[in-house]
Amino acid sequence: MNAALRLADLEASVGDRRILKGIHLELPFGEMHAVMGPNGSGKSTLCHVLSGRTGYQVSGAAELDGVGLLTKAVHERARMGLVQCFQYPVEIPGVRLGEFVDEAAAEAGIENSEQVIAAAAEQFDMTRFLDRSVNDDLSGGEKKRSEIFQISVLAPKVALLDEVDSGLDIDAVRDVAEAVEKMRGPEVGVLMITHYSRILRYVQPDRVHVMIDGQIVESGGPELAEELEKGGYAALRKRLGLNEPEETSAPQKRDPFSELPFGS
Amino acid sequence: MSALTLATVAELDASVPDREAAFDVFSKLPLPGPADETWRYVEHEISLEGLSLPAQGQAMDPDPILAGLDPGQHAVIVDGRTASIEGSGYLQQGLKLADLIASDVDKFAAAHRAFVSDGVQIRIPPGKHTASPILVELQSVSPNAISFPHVTIELEENSEAEVIVAHRAVNGIGSYSVPQVEVVLAQSARLRLLELQEVGEGSSVIVQLRARLGRDATLRLGEVGLGGDLARLDLAVHLEGQGSAAEIVGLFFGHRQQTLDYRMVLRHEGPKSSSNVLLKGAVEDSARSIFSGLVRIEKNANGTSAFETNRNLVLSPDAKANSIPNLEILCDDVICGHGSSVGPLEEDHLYYLQSRGISPARAERLLVRGFFKAVLDKLPVGGMEDALAEIVERRFVRAQESAA
Repeated sequence: MNAALRLADLEASVGDRRILKGIHLELPFGEMHAVMGPNGSGKSTLCHVLSGRTGYQVSGAAELDGVGLLTKAVHERARMGLVQCFQYPVEIPGVRLGEFVDEAAAEAGIENSEQVIAAAAEQFDMTRFLDRSVNDDLSGGEKKRSEIFQISVLAPKVALLDEVDSGLDIDAVRDVAEAVEKMRGPEVGVLMITHYSRILRYVQPDRVHVMIDGQIVESGGPELAEELEKGGYAALRKRLGLNEPEETSAPQKRDPFSELPFGS
Repeated sequence: MSALTLATVAELDASVPDREAAFDVFSKLPLPGPADETWRYVEHEISLEGLSLPAQGQAMDPDPILAGLDPGQHAVIVDGRTASIEGSGYLQQGLKLADLIASDVDKFAAAHRAFVSDGVQIRIPPGKHTASPILVELQSVSPNAISFPHVTIELEENSEAEVIVAHRAVNGIGSYSVPQVEVVLAQSARLRLLELQEVGEGSSVIVQLRARLGRDATLRLGEVGLGGDLARLDLAVHLEGQGSAAEIVGLFFGHRQQTLDYRMVLRHEGPKSSSNVLLKGAVEDSARSIFSGLVRIEKNANGTSAFETNRNLVLSPDAKANSIPNLEILCDDVICGHGSSVGPLEEDHLYYLQSRGISPARAERLLVRGFFKAVLDKLPVGGMEDALAEIVERRFVRAQESAA
């Protein structure tokens, strides 16, 4: 059986700068994996490269259910079954969420799409947003719920969650985590990309991969996330005998909530 | 057919004052062009050569955009003369100049005063409301004709009305229409006015619209610009009365070699007056658009608020949109703002839609539809949104397909 997603020696660069330096990863159907890494490790690039954003030179292989992704256009990848949950979903004034999801469901060949949409909207408490513009005037948590609602309608083979908990307060993180848990199923592989282990207190991934400097340096079970939570990336580097990070020109992101003293 | 001469002026309704003086101004003024401040960016070549006042032609077929409308009164003015008025109410045939438009504004204003032939007047008595909308069609049907219809709308104290003025011309006749619309709102009067400009290809329309608002009067004006080779709206709203309010929403979609030219002046004189302008447009092919909006707040207009927004989608490399918002504030206690943008569809928006499996072409259509939705939803006269959305979408799809 094919994996939901298989990456082999995936490399990506922008100009002379190599960002992904040979990623290997296998995400079987029915599993949820987390890719964790510090700022500048290439996590966002991985998302962009998989979903088809332009501007990268890419080599290696990325297969979705055995079919190569990298030569396909953005919308073709989505129709093959790769759907992304955006870190910062854009607001699109004038385009109603309902009409947008209708069109997307039609393109994805979803049967009984009207009922499917209604049921998913109910499940993720999005019904009242269907008549409103996409993401317009939504709180951070509502936007993420809307993303997960859309993914659940489109029933992808791979759900790619990019920093699904960023910018959320603690209650919203719990809500979103709950929604992510509902996405699990035997027909889907979930790949969660995250800087912080915070969301991993509420969702339990089957595997955790740690990405540093464009490579996956360690993979393990949920206990790997706990190790990171305790010692941070510095302790892990030390254990693995990795050098201190190179200077990076990537913009530094801060998540104010990560610095709060949560008990685990 | 009568040429634009003094002899023609002498044959027209003599009750219009100062026709000959206006003719004099008309013959002395040069044709306007991009060198004139109020015609800046209009590169479309204007020529009145060979145009004449026509004998009245046959009225056009009913307008599909207006099919959903059930007007209480319906006047059809063909080639500058009233052809029919259906229904009874407050609209009457005849010229009534409210004198809000000086005849030396430009060559077209002078020509209008010199050659104005007929029109309609709407006068709503104090406290009265029109139960259904009043529709005025200004049609050009004769080849190489120029016509000067006049519409005067007066609302007396605390009255209310809904009026649609539709500018139409048969395709390919090369006509000019130079209508004037004058609006006078007395205290607490409320007018919803929709200007629907769908002049056929090859013709031009130059509209001068003036409105004067008394105390607590409200004007809600909708502008829809679709047709014409050169289509110009020269609009001035004088917010004279305390608490008067003007809300202007408009949309346009220019294609082929069209020039769509919007000039708006909002003059706030009354304290606590308010205005809000939202104009959204798109240009395709090698179309041009111009928005020039001046909000002027006079010295004593304390407590005034004024906002103007102009958003333009430029959908092809040869199309061009110009946007010039302006504020002149002579008073301290005001809230004002303006915003303008000119550019293509947003990459991030396209990417987002495509990432859900929507093709690039469909994604563009969704975004164009969405762009205009905010305006269509706010038009002061309902019932045309779907027809207009469809026209805009068809136009966009045609351009998309011809580019592919």
